Amino acid sequence: MERRELFRVTAGAAVAAKLAGAQAHKFFSDDEFKMTDELTEMIIPADDKSGGARAAQVAAYLDFRLSEAFEPQVRDQWREGLKSIDALSTELNGHAFLAATPEQRIALMTRLSEKNDEFFRVLKEATIRAYYTSKIGIHDDLDYKGNVYQRGDYAGELP
Amino acid sequence: MPDSSHEPSKNIDLRKTYDAIVIGSGAAGGMAAYVLTSHGLKVLLLEAGRKLPIEKELKSMEWPYDHPRRGDMPPDRRALTPAEYNIRKPPYAAGTKYNHVYSYVQNWDGPDYSKNIVVDEKDHPYTGTNFAWVRARTFGGKTTIWGRLALRLSDYDFKAASRDGYGENWPISYADIEPYYDRVDDYLGISGIKENLPYLPDSRFQRPNKLTSAEMMLRRSLEKRGRLLTPYRAGVTTDGLKHNKYRSKCFGRGACNRRVGGCDIHAVFDSPTGLIYPAWDTGNLTVRTDATVYEITVDKDTGKASGVSFIDSETRKTYHAKAKAVVLGASTLESARLMLLSKSPQHPNGIGNSSGHVGHNFCEHVMGPEITGIVKDRVGAPRTLDDGRPGGFYLPRFRNLTDRSDFIRGYGFEGEAGMTMFPGHADSTPGFGAAFKKRVRDYAGAYINMGGFGEVLARYENHIDLDPEVKDRWGIPVIRFHIAFGDNERKMCDDMTESAKEMFEEAGIEIVSVKREMLTPGWSIHELGTARMGSDRKTSVVNQFQQSHDVKNLFVVDGSTHVSAANQNPTWTIMALCWRSCDYLADRMQKGEM
Repeated sequence: MERRELFRVTAGAAVAAKLAGAQAHKFFSDDEFKMTDELTEMIIPADDKSGGARAAQVAAYLDFRLSEAFEPQVRDQWREGLKSIDALSTELNGHAFLAATPEQRIALMTRLSEKNDEFFRVLKEATIRAYYTSKIGIHDDLDYKGNVYQRGDYAGELP
Repeated sequence: MPDSSHEPSKNIDLRKTYDAIVIGSGAAGGMAAYVLTSHGLKVLLLEAGRKLPIEKELKSMEWPYDHPRRGDMPPDRRALTPAEYNIRKPPYAAGTKYNHVYSYVQNWDGPDYSKNIVVDEKDHPYTGTNFAWVRARTFGGKTTIWGRLALRLSDYDFKAASRDGYGENWPISYADIEPYYDRVDDYLGISGIKENLPYLPDSRFQRPNKLTSAEMMLRRSLEKRGRLLTPYRAGVTTDGLKHNKYRSKCFGRGACNRRVGGCDIHAVFDSPTGLIYPAWDTGNLTVRTDATVYEITVDKDTGKASGVSFIDSETRKTYHAKAKAVVLGASTLESARLMLLSKSPQHPNGIGNSSGHVGHNFCEHVMGPEITGIVKDRVGAPRTLDDGRPGGFYLPRFRNLTDRSDFIRGYGFEGEAGMTMFPGHADSTPGFGAAFKKRVRDYAGAYINMGGFGEVLARYENHIDLDPEVKDRWGIPVIRFHIAFGDNERKMCDDMTESAKEMFEEAGIEIVSVKREMLTPGWSIHELGTARMGSDRKTSVVNQFQQSHDVKNLFVVDGSTHVSAANQNPTWTIMALCWRSCDYLADRMQKGEM
C-alpha cells in the first residue's frame, strides 16, 4: 500500500512537472539544475559513440532521487557541494561556474578530480549510477547484449 | 508461470492429527513435504512468512530504466552496510529512523526486487556477538533468492576428523548419501561438467554453462599446477524437467546472478515450484503460511512430540496443530531456537536437548578474501554476452588433500569474468570526461574476480542461546549469538589471499584489488551445525536419519544437523540428507513405529 501510494505521488508529480514545463524541478533550483546538468555532462559527455549524461537525463533523475531522499543531510550535501563549486569558480575565475568558459570549467573539474574532492566523488558516483542504468548507457554506450532470452547457442566455451 | 491453484488457506483443519507437521518451507521443509507426501503421508506444512506473488516481486527481465528508482528501494528503507556489522552490536536496527531495515544482502543490485523476501530487522532482532544474519521469511524461504552453487560433499568431508584428528566424523559416509544426491540432481536439475574429483564428486549434470575466454585462460593456467576451474555447478535446470510443469528451463537471462537471486520462470530451483507444488498436487499436503511456530508441544505421558503451537504472524491469534511426527526445517539457527524454546518437564533444556548440544557446534563458511584483476587481451575486445549465466566458475579446494598446511581443512573460490550490465569498475576509473568514458567502455568485460569460501571449524563454544530479555515482534525470545572466528580461520584466510594472488599472477592477470579481511560471521549465509548428527547421544542431537536421540518422532532436517561445514555450499547436501531421512521416517511410520 505504501509503495502504491508513493508511486501515485511520483506519477502525479511527473504529470505536474510536464504541465508546468521545464521549470518545475522537484529538488534543484533552476540554476542548480543547470549546473548539475552541465557537471554531469562534463563527467560523461556525448562522444561519437553515444549520448552523454545530458541526453540520458541524469540531472532529472538525480533531482527526483534527491527530492525524496530520507536523510536531509543528503540534500544538504548536494546544495552545499554545488555552492562550493560556484565559490571555487569565483575564487579562480572571478565568476560563478555557469558563467565560466569551457576551459575554466575543465580546469576546475580537473582540480577537484585530482584532489579527490568529496563532493566531486559524490557527483561522479551518482552520475555513473544514473548514466549506466539508462537506456543510452546500457545499450548505446556499452552495447550490453544480455537480459534477453538466449534461444540458440550461448556465448562462451566449454572446457 | 504463475499458478493460482496453490494458494494457502488460513482455514485449515486443526482438529485432525496429521501424519507429520513440517516446519519451514525452504530447501529442507520443501523436500520433507515432497518426500513424505509422495509416501502417502498427510502433511501439514507451516511457514512463518507469507506467500508472495513471487513472479511479480522478482520481475527478472525488468531493465533498470523501467524502474522508477533503477531497482533501488523506496527511500524509507535501508540495508545495513558491511561496516555496521562490526562497529555496532546487534540488534542492528535498534534506534533507526527508517521504516524498514534489511540485512546487507539488500545492498546488492536491484534490492527493490527482494525487499519483501528478506526479513525486516526491526521485527526480527537478535543480540550478542557480531553476526550478519540473513533471513527470508516467506513461502520458499531463502531458496527464492539463493546463490545456486550446488555441490556434493565427499568422504574427505564426512570423515575429515579421521584425516586430521579434529572434531567428529559424520555418522554417514558418501556411499550412504550418494543415491540421494543422484535423486536430488535428477528431480531438481543441476548444471555442470564432470571433472572426476574424489573430493568434489560429480553430479548427474544437465547442459553446462559455458566459460568466458578469460575464465578458460585461467583454467588452462591452473592446469599447470594441477588445480581446476570448472563451470559453476548451478542448481538450475538448463535442459528443463519433463516431470515438473511449474519450472522452465534456463534461457540465460541472468537476473539470478545480477541481483540477490531469484528466477521468475523458476529455472533456478526454488522450494515452492520444485518441491511444494508437486507435493500439493498429491492431495496429501496442507499449507498454512503466516504461521510462526513458537513451541513444539509434548505428550505428557510419552514425552514424544504431540504437535506444535503457532501464532498467526498477522492476526497474532494462537493455534495448536497435532501430528504423529514433527519435522523441523526452519533453517539452522531458527530450528535450534525453536528446540530451545520448547521446554517442558520432560525436556527441561528444550526438546531433544538432553545432550546440551542444541545451539552449539555452530559452523559455516568464512568469507572475505577476494581478488580482482584485468585480463589484458579483453580490453577493447568485441562485446560478448557473458552475464546470462546463473554463475561464473568454481575453483575447488586444493589444500590439505595430499599436502599439509599450517591450518586444517580447505576452501574454494567462486568467481566470474566478463561483461556485466553495470560497469562496476567505473567508480574506480580515474578522472572524468571523454577519456574516462572511453576507458569505462574499453575495460567493460575485461575484469575477472573471485572470492573464497572456507570451512569454519565446528567448536562447542561457538553457540547461540535465547536472550533472556529481548523478544521479537511476536513476543518470542530471540537468539543471542556467542560466535567468533579462531586461529584456523585466520590462517586459512591469509592463505586464501596469497594463493589467489599467486594464481592470478601466474595466469598473467593484472591484479587491481586484493581484499584480505575476514567478513563478519554469518556472511556466507551458510549457517550450520547447531543440532548436529552423531551416533553418541551425549555429544549429538540427532542420529544419522536426523531423528532426535531423545524424541523419536522429532526430526531436524535442515543445515543444523551438519557435523562439519566442509567448504562446499550446503543446500544440495541439506536436501539429499532430508530425502534420506524422510524415506526413513515414512518407512517407520508405515511400520507403526512412530
